[in-house]
Amino acid sequence: MDDSADTIPVPISKIPPEARQVLDKIEQDRKRFRVNLTLSFAVLLAGLFALMRIINLDFRFMFHWFGFIMAGIGYTLMVSFLAITLACVLAVVGALGRLSKNPIFNSIATAYVSLIRGTPLLVQVYMWYLALPQVGAALEDLGLHGIQRLFTLPAIPAGVMALGVCYGAYMTETVRAGIQSIKIGQTEAAKALGMTPRQTLRRVIFPQALRVIIPPVSNEFIAMIKDSSLVSLMGVWELSYRAIKIGRRYFQSLEMLIMVALIYWVMCIILQSIQEKIEAHMARGDRKVS
Amino acid sequence: MPEKMTMNNGETMIRINNLHKVFGQDLHVLRGIDLEVKTGEVVVILGPSGSGKSTLLRCINFLEEPTAGSIEIDGVVISAGERGKARDAHILEIRKKAGMCFQSFNLFPHMTAIENIIEGPITVLGQRKKEAIPYAEELLDWVGLTDKRDEHPSRLSGGQQQRVAIARSLAMRPKVMLFDEPTSALDPELVGEVVDVMERLAREGMTIIAVTHEMHFAKDVADRVFIMDGGNWIEDGPPEEIFTHPKHARSRQFLAHILK
Repeated sequence: MDDSADTIPVPISKIPPEARQVLDKIEQDRKRFRVNLTLSFAVLLAGLFALMRIINLDFRFMFHWFGFIMAGIGYTLMVSFLAITLACVLAVVGALGRLSKNPIFNSIATAYVSLIRGTPLLVQVYMWYLALPQVGAALEDLGLHGIQRLFTLPAIPAGVMALGVCYGAYMTETVRAGIQSIKIGQTEAAKALGMTPRQTLRRVIFPQALRVIIPPVSNEFIAMIKDSSLVSLMGVWELSYRAIKIGRRYFQSLEMLIMVALIYWVMCIILQSIQEKIEAHMARGDRKVS
Repeated sequence: MPEKMTMNNGETMIRINNLHKVFGQDLHVLRGIDLEVKTGEVVVILGPSGSGKSTLLRCINFLEEPTAGSIEIDGVVISAGERGKARDAHILEIRKKAGMCFQSFNLFPHMTAIENIIEGPITVLGQRKKEAIPYAEELLDWVGLTDKRDEHPSRLSGGQQQRVAIARSLAMRPKVMLFDEPTSALDPELVGEVVDVMERLAREGMTIIAVTHEMHFAKDVADRVFIMDGGNWIEDGPPEEIFTHPKHARSRQFLAHILK
């Protein structure tokens, strides 16, 4: 119906030599930039190493404790994964609340986002760990037996709750923006087919919103890996807690802090490359449609 | 159409009664529209932009909430101002009976052509994939896009997207098709393929209401042409009459403008 067989040959003109020269120049410039960039990075890295030598870092000490510090990576990853899972669930529920026409649901979601985003994460961590048991005690006094034990969270659950609830609030706004970025025509097409609002959300809006949401959410996850160090405040033996402990004990905090910083950095680089792969995968085929 | 539609002239398929639409508090777009369309009839609505054509079409399947009046499609009646579960169910009923084609196609970009077409039957009608696919493939063949079966919409031309969109609506086996300026977003050379599909649909006996500026469709395919201005009809009749002897001055003015 559309591919018509042309019978008249279209005249093909070659790229003229002077244009070829311009193209070569552009290609050369691009190559030179790439080489220079690599060189700069190499120099930067060498400088970093030189600096470490100059300040007389005790590499032997670092090597000795490397295994012990790395043993904390399990806690770091566990807390981060549990917290991001909680955050994702809260974010979806929160976003639906923020977009809801039900005043109760809407106000709860709005208050949640406002309160959590308006207070420091550090304070929230202590809230879950230190202040919540006091709330439990007060409720117990009112006659609710057994509630104090429920409200007294061990360090790891408290950390997961603090991080999950906090990131959930930020991600609520991400998810809401993702849902709102889908054109109204999509909802109308789904409605016109006879879909219920729930079906429209599940089959049409969410799958498309997900593509928009994935990059910022993986950013949040990378940020959370680092913020998970806050659970060290509660004495969880994760990466940074171990590094700080050992550093203090032997008065070699510099070595330990540099090492743990490098470990976080490498983790983030790995996660970033995974994120890029996921994004490339999701962008396949179906780009930009009217 | 792969499946013959029953041409059953004489029975009323759509009945619109004293329909009003007010946007906000005082933007009175539709002012007491009445319309009766018989089974198998093809109706084209013409009129200057802003006259309320699209709004009327969107009120028929409740993409817009009518402010007053009632709409009946194939025996399902809903009056404006009704509330509650029964009404919501009636709206879904009406939407299943009335397929709609949009100016901007609105295909689901995360699904391939065939997935777009089976989405309605699977999600709304509860069919299984195996049941839905054969008919979807027939429809794809019918709109001439069998070779685009597994392409995403972004890989299709506008005309091809609109034809898939028509197939997507037809997969619900609607009683009525509503076309909301289906060719307005298309490059001129792609208009023909979409109008061609609409024409074949009309010949097969589908009941159609189309808002379109395709004069060929209005003249040669439509059974009746309605001219709208200021939120109500100013004139209606068979196309040969409307196009040769328009009675109303406003119609003459408008037609002179678009027939140039």
